[in-house]
Amino acid sequence: MVTVSKYFENVWKSMYSTCVGMRITWRYLLQKPITVQYPDERMPIPNRYRGIHYLEQEKCINCLACARACPIDCIEMDAVRHGKELEWISFTLDYQKCMFCELCVYPCPKDCIHMGTEFAFVSEDRSEFVHDLLSYKGMSRDARTRMIEADKKKAEKAAAKAAKAAEKAAEDAKGGDAN
Amino acid sequence: MSLSTLALPLSLLTDPALKLAESETPEVAEAAAEMGELTSGTNLINELLMLAPIPDFVPGWAIPLTAIMIGVAIVMGVVSLNAMAGTWLERKVSGHIQCRYGPMRAGWHGFLQPLADGIKLMLKEDMIPIGSDRVLFVMAPALVLASVLGALAVMPLSPDFFFADAPMGLFLILALTSTTTIGVIMAGWASNSKWSVYGAMREAAQVVAYEVPLGISLLVPLIVAGTFSLTEVSEMQSGMFGIGGWLIFKNPFMFPALILFFIAVLAESKRAPFDLPESESELVSGFLTEYSGIRWSFFFMEEYAAMFLYCVVTAFFFLGGFNSPLTWLFEDGGLLPNVILWNVAAFFTIVVKGYIGLFVMMWVRWTLPRLRIDQVMTMGYKYLTPISLVCVLGAGIWEWGKAALLG
Amino acid sequence: MDQERTATVTEPKESAVLPDGSKEFVVDVHTEDMELNMGPQHPATHGVMRILLRVDGELVTGAQPHLGYLHRCAEKIGENVEWLQYLPYTDRYDYLAAMNNNLGYSMAVEKLLGIEIPRRAEMLRIICAELNRIGSHLIAFGTYGLDLGAFTPFLYTFREREWMMSLFEKICGARLTYSYIRIGGVFNDTPPGWLGEVSRFCDTFLVKWQEYYDLVVENQIFIGRTADVGVIPREMAMDFGLTGPMLRGSGIDFDLRRDMPYSLYGEVDKAGALNIPVARGEKGSLGDCWDRVWVRTMEMKESIEIVRWCLDNIEAGPVIGELPKTLRVPAGEAYVGIENPRGELGHYVVSDGGKVAVRCRVRGPSFCNLPVLEEIMLGTLLADSVAIIGSTDVVVGETDR
Repeated sequence: MVTVSKYFENVWKSMYSTCVGMRITWRYLLQKPITVQYPDERMPIPNRYRGIHYLEQEKCINCLACARACPIDCIEMDAVRHGKELEWISFTLDYQKCMFCELCVYPCPKDCIHMGTEFAFVSEDRSEFVHDLLSYKGMSRDARTRMIEADKKKAEKAAAKAAKAAEKAAEDAKGGDAN
Repeated sequence: MSLSTLALPLSLLTDPALKLAESETPEVAEAAAEMGELTSGTNLINELLMLAPIPDFVPGWAIPLTAIMIGVAIVMGVVSLNAMAGTWLERKVSGHIQCRYGPMRAGWHGFLQPLADGIKLMLKEDMIPIGSDRVLFVMAPALVLASVLGALAVMPLSPDFFFADAPMGLFLILALTSTTTIGVIMAGWASNSKWSVYGAMREAAQVVAYEVPLGISLLVPLIVAGTFSLTEVSEMQSGMFGIGGWLIFKNPFMFPALILFFIAVLAESKRAPFDLPESESELVSGFLTEYSGIRWSFFFMEEYAAMFLYCVVTAFFFLGGFNSPLTWLFEDGGLLPNVILWNVAAFFTIVVKGYIGLFVMMWVRWTLPRLRIDQVMTMGYKYLTPISLVCVLGAGIWEWGKAALLG
Repeated sequence: MDQERTATVTEPKESAVLPDGSKEFVVDVHTEDMELNMGPQHPATHGVMRILLRVDGELVTGAQPHLGYLHRCAEKIGENVEWLQYLPYTDRYDYLAAMNNNLGYSMAVEKLLGIEIPRRAEMLRIICAELNRIGSHLIAFGTYGLDLGAFTPFLYTFREREWMMSLFEKICGARLTYSYIRIGGVFNDTPPGWLGEVSRFCDTFLVKWQEYYDLVVENQIFIGRTADVGVIPREMAMDFGLTGPMLRGSGIDFDLRRDMPYSLYGEVDKAGALNIPVARGEKGSLGDCWDRVWVRTMEMKESIEIVRWCLDNIEAGPVIGELPKTLRVPAGEAYVGIENPRGELGHYVVSDGGKVAVRCRVRGPSFCNLPVLEEIMLGTLLADSVAIIGSTDVVVGETDR
């Protein structure tokens, strides 16, 4: 049962609270909007943003720590080892699976896989989401020179060793001869 | 006067202008003289057409018919232009209220967005759901739009330019805008969707409940003004810098009546907080759920046209009609009397007043939550109707007292 | 009642035998209840929940929530990935309160490990969890407005939530699925200036909070839509095992943060910064939708208090304890319940001493709060049912997991 006083109270409260609400919305109507016009202006992206990965390939040692840390096994890598140097075949990250959790970044012993600030990755083809992080395939020039140098050194060492052995053999032969 | 009485039913076809072109009776000639040079819109178009060189093979009745067609086209154009302006305004108002910009891409501040939208809606696939009542489904949007078109015909665009000045113009507007309900119920029923039926039934209940306070609260300005005609009511509000003569200042009960009328208008035109027939979060889209493309846009056009029409009626019967300081400048006793400029100023005045009303409707919509159906009924029957009756009684006593005291 | 509503076939008193030998019957047709599928795709079901409604006109005569449209086997995955690797999955069941989920899971594993968490890490955990609670309540509040037809508060709450998310973006790099709180502490220390920005957020938020309160909670139409709707009395709340704002909305003063303190909440409570709001049934009967919404709005304010206390008391130090590279958790089982924005989020983990959990069970608050819908939605109007679903603040990702 609605009493008379309640009746007028209802009318008054409805009018009053509507006016309060309309005052708030009116204030916002006159303010400058806070949104930005996206492609033209962009919000700043913090450094720690977890976007598309990038790899410092020079540092990477193909230790598979990141692949093991990944909860959904979306990292796959393949490289051939030439002594200390690596010949890269692939380092792929499947962005259809990746959930950008950053768990792959922490276990890296060389601190070479990072997450960048790039976030847009659009494609019409699913296969393109299997993204190759390598900046070059095979070996880098430095690595190759290092390898060649290492090989040279090795060869020199081997040659020196052989020479030494030959010397020794010759000495032995001489000695034997003397004896 | 006698001739405009004829204009009441199907005002477009029995327009005085047409009679003028054919008949020679003295009564008509007298009325024509009364109406002066610029009378009704169709007459004006007719006269303009007459000025053009017309070949002989064109029969005599073709010219007035063309004039009618042009008149209909103008009303149709007003409806669609109004819908475009309305949607743009709605988006901008809602956007800025919500701290965002709204459409910004198409044209200056998204000004061409309604155009892009219109093209999209026209190109969209026209879906008629399986199991729906095809005839009713197709008919409903047309009926809805037709009723509001008919109502708009009575609306004068300026003091001397109107398509039909019916002496009972207000009645015609109220009657015709109420028929949209039938279209909405048809749409809801024909869609073969449960949500649509809900929307339709809510619309029916709501419109029946709110016709009562809508009519009663309009009785207050009618008591004060004493006429149903929109042009006449506008005429009597002139003077005093174009503001002082407004009906709202003539009676203390006019202001509550304005608020009551405005609330009832919100409910009649299905605007929030009374948008129960559509209520997106409850009924998906209410009676519009199954509609798409151009048919859907018909409902939309109707909504905005009805809103505009109601706002114009509010302006006519409460807020001075054509009168504003601008028209006061150009009217007969003003500083720069000029008939043409006066008419143009009056047109702008009424459009601006209508859009201010539209803006307030949007402002309310983007502020308040929706009512529940029983609360809508309670508000209509228990609050608006009695309070508006009190207003009518008070206004009547006030007017009677004024007449008795001042003679 | 159901029996009366269906069509009944009765035999008239003087039944005539028809020429083909069968008896004459009178079919007495009553209006039948309509079955209405609300969802899985419906604006009011907050995701892909489906509620099968039986309606008599506008009146709801039966409601049955159907779950499972978003089932992703989260618990089974927990038994197949390593301890730390499960962390990103915890983000994804209650995606509006990922920090709280991280916290619950990490604490359960830490309980088994029996390790000590650095104090700064605990502080950061509380700051993040409470900020996330604010964000989650902002969504609950905003979408509740949306359910009731008020669109604008939704955008206003999203504005503040945006700031909160950009704070999280600065500290951990993600905006929704944070994976920030980890076993043994937190992943990163704060970037420079972060704590100052949190403090500024707190100041600004309280001003905006007052606006929401005036615009929505105190609005007469809102009160009319929510007061005395979907009333859960105290006993019913206890019987259904409700937790969180649903429980406190029914006037029961129980909060895990205070009554079973974990992390540093005991200290917060001692310092007097933990004032749990409990509904008093101001606008209608105790336990209605308005009370639940009110509890959520007040909790936002209270979370700001807790964050402020942490900001005042945070000290420099390490943010992660000593942990082996491959985590092997000692055999045993542990249950940790924390106060999620929706109620008690429990993690029950069983280990056999290996790298992978044997069992990883989650007690989801909105899953456990859901069955009460069936009871309180009876006899309400269709529009009320939307208001009731909204007031339970269900996150379908978590009910289905």
